Amino acid sequence: MAVEQPKGAKPIPVSKDDTPTTTALARAEAIVIPDPTSEDDLLSEFGMETHPRGGFHGLLEVIPTRADYILDLIRANSLWPLLSGLSCCAIEMMSTATPMNDMDRFGMFPMRASPRQADVLIVAGTLTTKMAGPLVRLWAQMPEPKWCVAMGTCTTSGGRFKRSYSVVQGVDRVMPVDVYVPGCPPRPEGLIYGMMKLHELVKQRRGQWDTFVDRGPELRSWEGDVR
Amino acid sequence: MGHLCRPWTGAPFLGRGRPLTAPAAAGPLVRLLGDKLGDATSHLWTDEDTVEVQVPGDRIVETLRTLRDDPEFAFFFQADAAAVDYGVGEHFEVVYHLHSDRHPTWLRIRVPVDRQTPVTQTVTGLWEGAMFHEREMYDMMGIVFEGNRDLRRIYMSPDYRSFPQRKDFLLPDDAADSPAAGNMPLERPETWDLTRLEDAAAHRDEPGGPV
Amino acid sequence: MTTTKKPASRRRAPPEDEAALRATAEGRIRDPLELEEAAALDGPEPGVVSTRPEFYGFDIVPPPDRPPQTEREREVYTLGDGEMLVNMGPQHPSTHGVMRIVLKVRGEVVIDLDPVLGYLHRGIEKLCENATYTTVMTYVDPMDYMSAMHNEHAPALAFEKLYGIKAPRRAEYIRALVVELNRVFSHGLMMGFLALDLGGLTPILYGFINRDQVVDLLSAISGQRMLFNFFRVGGVNFDVNDEFLSRLGTWRAGVLDTIEMNEKLLTENEIFGARTKGMGVLTGQQAIDLGVTGPNLRASGVPFDVRKAHPYPPYPELEFDVITQQGGDTYARYMQRVAELKQSIHLIDQIVDRMPHGPVQAQVPGIIRPKPGRAYAAVESPRGLYSVYAISDGGPNPYRFRMRDPSFISLQAVPKLMPGRLVADTMAVMASFDPVMGGVDK
Repeated sequence: MAVEQPKGAKPIPVSKDDTPTTTALARAEAIVIPDPTSEDDLLSEFGMETHPRGGFHGLLEVIPTRADYILDLIRANSLWPLLSGLSCCAIEMMSTATPMNDMDRFGMFPMRASPRQADVLIVAGTLTTKMAGPLVRLWAQMPEPKWCVAMGTCTTSGGRFKRSYSVVQGVDRVMPVDVYVPGCPPRPEGLIYGMMKLHELVKQRRGQWDTFVDRGPELRSWEGDVR
Repeated sequence: MGHLCRPWTGAPFLGRGRPLTAPAAAGPLVRLLGDKLGDATSHLWTDEDTVEVQVPGDRIVETLRTLRDDPEFAFFFQADAAAVDYGVGEHFEVVYHLHSDRHPTWLRIRVPVDRQTPVTQTVTGLWEGAMFHEREMYDMMGIVFEGNRDLRRIYMSPDYRSFPQRKDFLLPDDAADSPAAGNMPLERPETWDLTRLEDAAAHRDEPGGPV
Repeated sequence: MTTTKKPASRRRAPPEDEAALRATAEGRIRDPLELEEAAALDGPEPGVVSTRPEFYGFDIVPPPDRPPQTEREREVYTLGDGEMLVNMGPQHPSTHGVMRIVLKVRGEVVIDLDPVLGYLHRGIEKLCENATYTTVMTYVDPMDYMSAMHNEHAPALAFEKLYGIKAPRRAEYIRALVVELNRVFSHGLMMGFLALDLGGLTPILYGFINRDQVVDLLSAISGQRMLFNFFRVGGVNFDVNDEFLSRLGTWRAGVLDTIEMNEKLLTENEIFGARTKGMGVLTGQQAIDLGVTGPNLRASGVPFDVRKAHPYPPYPELEFDVITQQGGDTYARYMQRVAELKQSIHLIDQIVDRMPHGPVQAQVPGIIRPKPGRAYAAVESPRGLYSVYAISDGGPNPYRFRMRDPSFISLQAVPKLMPGRLVADTMAVMASFDPVMGGVDK
């Protein structure tokens, strides 16, 4: 049974009695990845050649890019943190959420108690070996896209508890971290600066998670961008 | 102003095993200890605000009961129970601090515990609040309290095998092998995830910067 | 595409049995969908709810993997008829930190309770054995992080006893000033946390307004908002400065209104009263037996205050009474803290009036080497009696540095108070004891 393949793809290896083999290799070769440099690309028929860095070019660039940009803006301005304050930095995180230094103006007021509803895990406080298990389980329960902010020096590197027998020397030993906010504890203004840095990551859809669908390297800037 | 800055020589030396005259504030308590508990206590030592005695491990519960129930002592409140390790060849010690409204000083009771068989009696029959103290002493120092209904680890995980506050507890030299190291410690380069560096390196010369 | 293989007991009944089921003794024709649901509820085995992945979300907390080792563990983890273990895990919305409570409930009523601690244990006592006496001040700060000044006060007093010195009088007054300021914002936050655990979201915001004002004040004198590192052996680090005094004046002018704003929401509130009055009653004798101290003990009627019982300077020179409440319930503990907050403001007024001139730190070398000895010092922290037992061996590091934290011991009262109450009251009772997990776990 011959399956028609577009040009440029290797044929599926067929066994002798004409049943398709099901080895992983065959399955991988059956997936068609359009070759961006080939001239017979499907999109070129419509005048939309693929950009060498991926993404789209011409008319098709404008609409999805702008929609993605707005989507990322929406996501950045409504990041919901998970209420996971472990120690002293939690008090400063709460202080950032309260009227004197308001995190609500950035959309971060609803501190969700459930990891299923949260976007950002702000690890605020010392991570001990006993708590590392539950914290990693919380991180695994958070749906993607998710980001992790290591607040305070205890989560950055163990902090003032270096060489302690029960402190994990930095939370990046057990989970991926996107933003490090140093300080012991960081001032609320410092945490807000860390969240601003996180906004930049969110807008570029950069994060570290496993099952994120890769849509190609995002364009860092586009024509007319005045960032 | 010099009198405020020089060390206050009025304080007696807090030496070990030096009998000192009891200050007036502690006088009645010292007399009472000698009268009523003279056979159970030894090594009396006083300071301006503390009276200290040593009590052997087998007499501790009855001594504390006398101290708590006798109206002339009236040490109704146990403030602290601490465990001390005096070194690898030396004994342990359990130190109780008691408070009474009738006596202005603290009473410190030191109970020596053998290092090879660190077993002593529990005081949870007298003060229920000693339960967490004893659990902590067991967790950190390994002292077993006979008669305690709930002697299990309180700070460390239940499967932890060592006693951290002992003097012969040392962290392994290579911290990367301890459970505190995590999955990708910096001490072990084979666990580094270098793919995360590609992103920054690739976009280093972009107008927006690598961020 | 993966297909889930249904276990045998959940397959649809074969047609011949179905026909038989349709015409049962009741004479009713049963709906086939009904039959499927009924079969689904049986589950594959008794005791297993379902194998469908939609139901994996909430696992009942299993008993510990090992057999219960102690009598009390056996008591808690043996389930009777209709009882269930519910885990209030280390991450939960109440803001006391990371504590795990395993509740044994029958329906909504709590039968027994087992607090599991240690999720924030940082090994501070062991770390202090390798630190100089001045560095110890940085290690003890994050213990009871809401009252960091008290955390430093007790070691400073203990080390001064070891070294044989006393702090200058001005330093004693500055110490009392910052300690009472710390008590003010700690009690103010407790009001907020209690309301937060009961569901009220506004008092915590008022509490944080007050806390931010006080903390800006303390940062003017010590340089840090929270973990102050302000005390030294022999005094304090910095003297008061103009910025501190001007902020103190502004704050003092407005603090009673801020507290009043918070109190108006809570003290006469019917719902707050209904949820806290008569709840978690702790008698005085019970409290002494359990080692509970501080406002929790005084709310049960026992007038034990370390500032009066074992006075440390400058409190003998200040005028204040020991406040107690009768009742010992959650409401009494709340009223006790409000009263002590106002007493602290009164104390601050006296301290500022009577502050003497002089140096703020004794002439002490950077690394002190006290003579071998032992010292015990206790202070009154917002949570109770906080004490330090220090042993020196003549070297630059303390040989044994032991801290007795009040929240740690007060937590023992909660398993005694909870049986018979509802689950929602657990957090209210816990919040009324105002534990801070940094201190509990050291």
